[in-house]
Amino acid sequence: MFVLLMGKSGSGKTSMRSIIFANYIARDTRRLGATIDVEHSHVRFLGNLVLNLWDCGGQDTFMENYFTSQRDNIFRNVEVLIYVFDVESRELEKDMHYYQSCLEAILQNSPDAKVFCLVHKMDLVQEDQRDLIFKEREEDLKRLSRPLACTCFRTSIWDETLYKAWSSIVYQLIPNVQQLETNLRNFAQIIEADEVLLFERATFLVISHYQCKEQRDAHRFEKISNIIKQFKLSCSKLAASFQSMEVRNSNFAAFIDVFTSNTYVMVIMSDPSIPSAATLINIRNARKHFEKLERVDGPKHSLHMRMR
Amino acid sequence: IKPPVCPFIQKHMFVYCEETFVYELPFHVEPKNIVEDDPQERVSAEAAILNSRVHYYSRLTGSSDRLLSPPNHVIPRPEEIYIYSPLGTAFKVTGSDQSSKNPSIITIFAIWNTMMGTSILSIPWGIKQAGFTLGILILIFTGLLMLYCCYVVLKSPKAIPYVDTSDWEFPDVCRYYFGKFGQWSSLFFSMVSLIGAMVVYWVLMSNFLFNTGQFIHNYAYNVNMSDSEFGTNGSDRVICPYPNTDPGGNFTISTHYLDNSGNDTSDVGSFEHWWSKTNTIPFYLIILLLPLLCFHSASFFARFTFLGTISVIYLIALVTVKAVHLGFHLEFHWFDTTQFYVPEFRLLFPQLTGVLTLAFFIHNCIITLMKSNKHQENNVRDLSVAYLLVGLTYLYVGVLIFAAFPAPPLFKDCIEPNFLDNFPSSDVMVFVARTFLLFQMITVYPLLGYLVRVQMMGQIFGNHYPSFFHVLALNILIVGAGVLMAKFYPNIGSIIRFSGATCGLALVFVFPALVHMISLRRQGLLRWPSALFHICLILLGIANLLGQFFM
Repeated sequence: MFVLLMGKSGSGKTSMRSIIFANYIARDTRRLGATIDVEHSHVRFLGNLVLNLWDCGGQDTFMENYFTSQRDNIFRNVEVLIYVFDVESRELEKDMHYYQSCLEAILQNSPDAKVFCLVHKMDLVQEDQRDLIFKEREEDLKRLSRPLACTCFRTSIWDETLYKAWSSIVYQLIPNVQQLETNLRNFAQIIEADEVLLFERATFLVISHYQCKEQRDAHRFEKISNIIKQFKLSCSKLAASFQSMEVRNSNFAAFIDVFTSNTYVMVIMSDPSIPSAATLINIRNARKHFEKLERVDGPKHSLHMRMR
Repeated sequence: IKPPVCPFIQKHMFVYCEETFVYELPFHVEPKNIVEDDPQERVSAEAAILNSRVHYYSRLTGSSDRLLSPPNHVIPRPEEIYIYSPLGTAFKVTGSDQSSKNPSIITIFAIWNTMMGTSILSIPWGIKQAGFTLGILILIFTGLLMLYCCYVVLKSPKAIPYVDTSDWEFPDVCRYYFGKFGQWSSLFFSMVSLIGAMVVYWVLMSNFLFNTGQFIHNYAYNVNMSDSEFGTNGSDRVICPYPNTDPGGNFTISTHYLDNSGNDTSDVGSFEHWWSKTNTIPFYLIILLLPLLCFHSASFFARFTFLGTISVIYLIALVTVKAVHLGFHLEFHWFDTTQFYVPEFRLLFPQLTGVLTLAFFIHNCIITLMKSNKHQENNVRDLSVAYLLVGLTYLYVGVLIFAAFPAPPLFKDCIEPNFLDNFPSSDVMVFVARTFLLFQMITVYPLLGYLVRVQMMGQIFGNHYPSFFHVLALNILIVGAGVLMAKFYPNIGSIIRFSGATCGLALVFVFPALVHMISLRRQGLLRWPSALFHICLILLGIANLLGQFFM
């Protein structure tokens, strides 16, 4: 199953993918014009969803023809369509036109797909106008998307909106997320943790979390995500892979570890008297329980998807 | 190299002292997190998260890649940034840009000053070669063409996506588009213009030194040279150093002009023998200039650039005074050759275009010059104004000298490639001009030599001063070229037009046009009229060079 990341050339898809999935962008491999073929990314997340990037709507008529002739191949087996709009684009009519063609193709080939629209590069809009402009676009997009339902987000790589948008998207893709959250709360209360976070494995986006008291830093999820992704980049340079981490000082102890096949967990204990071993045993036991939760659901919502 | 910027916001101080900033450590922990429960926030929340993002994004791209660099509107203004050393002191950033920013008028003046070279002395000759009317039209047309090419060069680095081109010059742009070939060929053509200029300087310096010495000698020994030179009578004497017999008619002139190669009839034989424009002076200059070329640094000579400005202004004044005294002598013969005048349209016009290509040449350093302009959005306007002023200066000097040249006793064809040669060495105003120019050239010559040395040694050996012998060898070659030209072919008009057309071919016409077309094509914006126009530019450049050989 595929996740399609589509949008006009230059709308920011490559940067977005790089930031969310911690891919290095080499200058030479970046093209200077419109893509005429889909970029197969081999990025897997949430089990076996594959992320594909596709440029939609260049000035090249050749590209347009190719797009229409390969349509069925591209739009089949799509689980999620994420369409990126550049808020600064001067060709709104054209952008909407291409978006509608994509939607038609989705309706024909993968009618159950979820559609998300990201209005990107919002940092280029003046702060006082952002809400207004986003509301306008959201209305237009919702109207154009009928009968499909699309969820709109405004994003920018220079504030928290990108991270939050993708976290919401991934949250909606987890099949039994509410159940996960209840279980997570129980787990946290049992082990007396201050906070427990559940991350998606590939992107370290926070899927769900529990906190027992107010935390000061509203941006802590994104920061942890960034730190761990940088660490993963460093590890990959040594051909090592990151498995688990413990950080401890006199005030707290934090544990990051593999949890289920699609998730990582982070447990923060502010009681330094509890020995690490105890917490680690608790996490290990919880792991078995949560894995069972994942496997409970049927094949349609299974997170283990067939690869193409 | 991307600077380790990690700036910060508002009243709170932020840390990224350069020494402690290490890209390899992902676990940078901000100060507020490692101290005891300090109620005072040392870093604001927005600052901390922006820092985290910048840190992370910098790992995702190459260090010179600006794709994920924070844009200016995301980074706070310099007034809001503090740099804090772990030892406890904090100070404000003095300004994100170390280079000073100049207002438009200074930039325009700098461009005018840099472009005004010794080609100004050849403009009247160039207009004479092309014909008066055609000459003026060509000057305007060439100026506009070269302005357009300069504009293309100026905006070429900005059209390159994803790469930080803030310290690139045009050869770097050529290297980006054409690889090693582009780099080496743009270097080569740049050298052609520089070495051509240095050869011209040597010839002119010999000329001016000769005339200065002659003036002093004649003044001291009260020698009158007027009989031995063909020229007008009166106080504002204009001479014709090498008169040709008239091609059209039977008119012959009996002249005995001073033959500088030594076969003279004058009494002061030994002076002429030891003080000869082509035989001895070029060699005397070696003693003065070769040591200056071997200096490590040329910053001492850079102080004297004001001499160039004074020289040009003095030349303009000189030209005005002479024109007022001599009056205008213009007759319009459109296509036919007459005894005293030249046709308005001549086939020798490529010689003028060659001279103008060097006269309007600034393409190899315009990017650097414009970088210090305070209001970058006015760059195109300022460049156009500078070109306009340069064009007007050249036009003024060229037209006035040509029009004022006394044609009935003399021939318009006598206008020399260095128009100062048309005035005798006894003329006081011209003597002053020659002295100014001599001093100016003596100070600019080592600067040019330094530029040649830095570029050639830098590219070939990677070191600006590999060893004294390398540098000496290079200097001997350059000086040797100058001496040979001064001795055997001291016609600066030809040297200027050939070197101008050669370096113009690459750096003015071909490379900018190709770079512009390629970048448009990559953006998908190349249209047929534009492509056709740029191909015509390339053809014009080639025709310009070929014209120098055939006309």
